[in-house]
Amino acid sequence: MSESDLDIMEPETMKSYIWLQTADGSVQQVEQEVAMFCPMICQEIIHKGAGSSKNHAISLPQRVNSAMFSLILDYCRFHQVPGRSNKERKVYDEKFMRMETKRLCELTSAADSLQLKPLVDLTSSALARIIEGKTPEEIRDIFHLPDDLTEEEKLEPLKNTMDDPRIRLLNRLYAKKRKELKERERLKNVEVEGHVDERSVDDLLSFINGTDPKVAKMSKGKKKYKKKKNQKIISSNDKESHDLHFKQQGVEETGSRMRDLLSLEDEIFTPKAGCEDGDIDDEIDPAMKEMLDREVEDFARRLNSNWAQSLGQERRPVHFSINGNNGTTRRHIGQSSGHN
Amino acid sequence: MGESPDLISDLPQSILENILTRLSLRDAIRTSVLSTKWRYKWSTLTDLMFDEKCVAPSTDRAVVETNLVRFITGVLLLHQGPIHKFHLSTSFLQCRPDIDQWLLFLSRNGIKELVLELGEGEFRVPSCLFSCLKLTRLELCHCEFDPPKSFNGFSSLKSLNLHQILVSPEAIESLISGCPLLEFLSLSYFDSLVLSISAPNLMYLYLDGEFKDIFLENTPKLVAISVSMYMHEDVADFEQSSDYNLVKFLGGVPLLEKLVGYIYFTKYLSIGDDPGRLPITYIHLKTIELYQVSFEDANEVLVLLRLVTHSPNLKELKVSASPIQLFPLEEESFDLFERDYLDYKLPRLETVRMTDVSGIRNELEFIRFLMGTSPVLEAVVVTSSLSDKDARMEMVVELLRFPRVSPRAQLLFLQD
Repeated sequence: MSESDLDIMEPETMKSYIWLQTADGSVQQVEQEVAMFCPMICQEIIHKGAGSSKNHAISLPQRVNSAMFSLILDYCRFHQVPGRSNKERKVYDEKFMRMETKRLCELTSAADSLQLKPLVDLTSSALARIIEGKTPEEIRDIFHLPDDLTEEEKLEPLKNTMDDPRIRLLNRLYAKKRKELKERERLKNVEVEGHVDERSVDDLLSFINGTDPKVAKMSKGKKKYKKKKNQKIISSNDKESHDLHFKQQGVEETGSRMRDLLSLEDEIFTPKAGCEDGDIDDEIDPAMKEMLDREVEDFARRLNSNWAQSLGQERRPVHFSINGNNGTTRRHIGQSSGHN
Repeated sequence: MGESPDLISDLPQSILENILTRLSLRDAIRTSVLSTKWRYKWSTLTDLMFDEKCVAPSTDRAVVETNLVRFITGVLLLHQGPIHKFHLSTSFLQCRPDIDQWLLFLSRNGIKELVLELGEGEFRVPSCLFSCLKLTRLELCHCEFDPPKSFNGFSSLKSLNLHQILVSPEAIESLISGCPLLEFLSLSYFDSLVLSISAPNLMYLYLDGEFKDIFLENTPKLVAISVSMYMHEDVADFEQSSDYNLVKFLGGVPLLEKLVGYIYFTKYLSIGDDPGRLPITYIHLKTIELYQVSFEDANEVLVLLRLVTHSPNLKELKVSASPIQLFPLEEESFDLFERDYLDYKLPRLETVRMTDVSGIRNELEFIRFLMGTSPVLEAVVVTSSLSDKDARMEMVVELLRFPRVSPRAQLLFLQD
């Protein structure tokens, strides 16, 4: 036992004082029984023997500045007296809690760091009473909270967003947009992979051209695929043609069966999974069809101009109709053109 | 600093949770729209108490019901971390599959205290409840309770409260014996229950309903008992057993401090063959409150006397004499009081309250007995149910004659 402990245990003829230092540097003497009301100070005294002299003052935690400490001491001084009735204590507590919100928050923090639970509970109740029943704006005002949530975030928590017609509309629009983007992504990805593409087009081509489909390699490069296709069928100057055209080319080459093919394509590429919004699909499919139609025309134009160039003379427009002639012609041209 | 600093958001989470638990759940959740920091501060609260005040009121019940269900489901989905307390008290919800799902969710999140007070209906408690082995408190109201055969009880359960539950008596008995730590037991609104209670740690027992037979088999630590016993009309069943119910019920509770009995409790205790003396002395019993005691029935008076005389530290006695008469007996004037308890002393009795006194012989004799045996008696408060002024006057005169052992004893006569 250290000397200071012995001091504490002696019967008191003189009051003993504990030395304490607040976060902002001021050192003060406090009556022992008052200071010991705080568990944290109590522990410091008993376990570390601190506080017995000015040089060994107990350092209070950072959240306890002198103003707060003096408040806490008042509280401790009142409550550590054993003889008070419950009613007296309650009356004192209620009076004690009358202070501005800023101080209340600081006091809560300080009391918490000193582990003075009854005071923490008291201040928490006071703060809860302040928050109770107020609108968010009022609360933000009182506690100086930043209003930094987005509109959508504010609505998110438990409010039933589905009821608000504006939110519903927004959601539908977002969903539509997302779908469209997904569609485009999917189209791009499919062409790069060349999976579904190959089989369907090969089958179709074989059907049209009366030949067995070559075993389609898993071509990763669109150029390779294009070359093969072109050798077989038609010359193409579509080196530059983008992914989107790629698949469509294969389709277009088969000419008038295009519509059928397109519908087949639609089946393959249209998401088969149940869609929440039938409307959206309807809108995209015709849009896609439109796009494809446009590509077809472009291609036709380009084709015509190529022919003219390669042959040098003929300017007969190519009719995209399925018949043996055309097929053969295309093949022939493809072989001789040496494009790509 | 240009702007005022945020006063509160940076307090430790433990303090903020302390504050949030003091708000209604609705207000606590509304803090999520205050600022980005506050968005999920509420979501780690471990105690969730729901009732219809969580949603906006409406005259349409169905609207309130739907909103409440959405609210609770929403809270549970957004919540993070364990949930220790879940209270749901509302008459707006009865039997809904949503409740099953909530209970399943809770059973996976370490639920410790579950209070389910539903509206009248037949909500059948789902089997996931029986896998909540961390339960320390369970309170069910208006439910159907059917534990699976593999259920062995809740090993941590300390408090069990079943109100108007549809359950077989065997299930209750095995549930009680399967909860070795049980300290508080409340069974109310039961019909014709025959129950044998074996709970070594039980301290508080509250029974309310139509019980045919209760046997406190193993409840040595009981401190407080409160029984409201309703009985069947045909009491022939009771007369069968020869065991003295007083002994059967109160024979094994040496630590008893408070005893409260309503309706037919005293009558129930009086049934059986009286062995003469009670096996134990209730040295801790300080308060006895027995209501609806039929003073015309000598057996009931005997029960009262036995209890009083076996409680040397009795401080407060409250007896309500009841006009309820199951069996209109002939009024026996018997000198029981003088015969057996002549030199008896009730050394600590301070307050006696007798209500609904109608002035019959036994009542008056009992008061005389008390006043003659309580040296520290301070007040005897008598309230009468007599409407006839003369009869009342007679009674008062009679009471005033009684000798008082305590110099401080006051006889206070109040009118109903």
